Amino acid sequence: MSSDPDKMMSKADKMTKLTLTRWSADWRGATELYEQAANGFRASNKYEKAKVALEKASKGQEMQASPWDAAKHMESAAALAQKLSIWNEVVDFYRKASELYVECGRAQPASDALGKAARALEDVKPDDAIQLYTDACEILEEDGRDQMAFDLYRACANVYIKLEKFTDAATFFLRLGVAADKCDATNSQCKAYLSAIILYLYAHDLQQAEKCYNDCSQIDAFLKSDQSRSASRLLTAYNEGDIEEIKKVASSSTVSNLDHMIIKLARKLPTGDVTAIQMNTNDDLDEDDLT
Amino acid sequence: MPVIDIIFRVDEICKKYDKYDVDKHREIGTSGDDAFSRLFTSIDSDIEAVLRKAEMASTEKNRAAAVAMNAEVRRTKARLAEDVVKLQKLAVKKIKGLTREERESRCDLVIALADRLQAVPDGNEHGAKQANNEWGGASAPNKNIKFDMSEEDMDDGFFQQTEESSQFRQEYEMRKKKQDEGLDVISEGLDALKNLARDMNEELDKQVPLMEEMETKVDGATSDLKNTNVRLKKQLVQMRSSRNFCIDIVLLCVILGIVSYIYNALN
Repeated sequence: MSSDPDKMMSKADKMTKLTLTRWSADWRGATELYEQAANGFRASNKYEKAKVALEKASKGQEMQASPWDAAKHMESAAALAQKLSIWNEVVDFYRKASELYVECGRAQPASDALGKAARALEDVKPDDAIQLYTDACEILEEDGRDQMAFDLYRACANVYIKLEKFTDAATFFLRLGVAADKCDATNSQCKAYLSAIILYLYAHDLQQAEKCYNDCSQIDAFLKSDQSRSASRLLTAYNEGDIEEIKKVASSSTVSNLDHMIIKLARKLPTGDVTAIQMNTNDDLDEDDLT
Repeated sequence: MPVIDIIFRVDEICKKYDKYDVDKHREIGTSGDDAFSRLFTSIDSDIEAVLRKAEMASTEKNRAAAVAMNAEVRRTKARLAEDVVKLQKLAVKKIKGLTREERESRCDLVIALADRLQAVPDGNEHGAKQANNEWGGASAPNKNIKFDMSEEDMDDGFFQQTEESSQFRQEYEMRKKKQDEGLDVISEGLDALKNLARDMNEELDKQVPLMEEMETKVDGATSDLKNTNVRLKKQLVQMRSSRNFCIDIVLLCVILGIVSYIYNALN
């Protein structure tokens, strides 16, 4: 019961090392010591050592066949690593924690762990963050809890938007739509489709936007919704080059109910080329007519 | 009884029984123009009755009753007009013992009667005046509209119409615009409410399975706790009873010790 965490650590290490006098490691005692040491380090703000202690405590719990406690310790270790900005360790720890949660059969905490990791990495390593978000969504979908995946999809799409990869973001919104369809969340589904269409328009890709609108109109729920009406108004306004109408739709209440990133993009919408698009399509028609 | 009284009483009685005086009637009857004067007197009395009714109608407060009375006055006037026509025919007839001047005077009498009849107010002029004020003369009775004159009338009256009704129209447009603005605001609010409500709905749907899971877990935990409590209680009861037993034994031993000490002391 020494109060010095270092001493506890060394004692616990000795307990786990197999020597001639010790044939089997005493994980229980060691784990307890590790946990106490970690608390002591945290209290004295020695985060590096606390992290190490938590890692070892988690290993101990795993050896004792209690994956839940192990996962919890791993998460705490990952949080400390985040504070210390050791990013690859953050990823590793959270992934390990998530695996342990899956071992317990608890999908929600598993995806939560990956979500936390992704959020930590959003600014620093966005690609890894996206990978983490995707994995988290997969875990939830496997478990049949698609509704919880909505937030993750939205966060992932936001990361893509920050990276200005609009088509990828739109793809994620479409995946959101699929997930929403599975759980009959029609409102989220329609909002997701409208967001995708707006993203395509923001990327100047009118054909893709129209294709997307046509595809989504196959779905009854979207066809009858306010969002599809706003989408069709937006597309006709684009086709006619009517900037006023675009602005009006972008500030309507339907659009203002989407994610705030999408609202920002929608407000900036006629991204310059509207009349050019219109003239192009007109020229095409004229050529066809003449020939 | 004074003579004057007798004379008055006789007069009264004569007046009362005048209708039974055949001679007097025959005297009146043989004047020759019985049909004419009879009709004349009857039409006269009818006109008096109509006049009285018209007066009553004009002073009537209840508009529905006034209208009904006016309608009746008009009906009576129409009937009497027919009678006046008949009277006129009678007046022109040549009757024995009648001079030419008398016949002409009869025609004049008939015309005077007809004028009196027309002059009876029957509510039409009043209504027409009101209509004129509102619509500037455009709705005068049809037979008064002559095309040439009405154009001039229309010009003066027309101007008045545009001033008043254009104001009215402006006010109507303004109110309609205000109503439209208000309705727009309401519709925007309703849109926001609808979106909020839908999102809340979906969020609650998300929470439902979580709540069910939590319920099962909490149910399990409560039953575990109940079990533990029961077992703990059993344990405590058992321990206490054994403790009482031990205390009993200890006290017994103490008493035996005291007794043996006293026995030793006595011995």
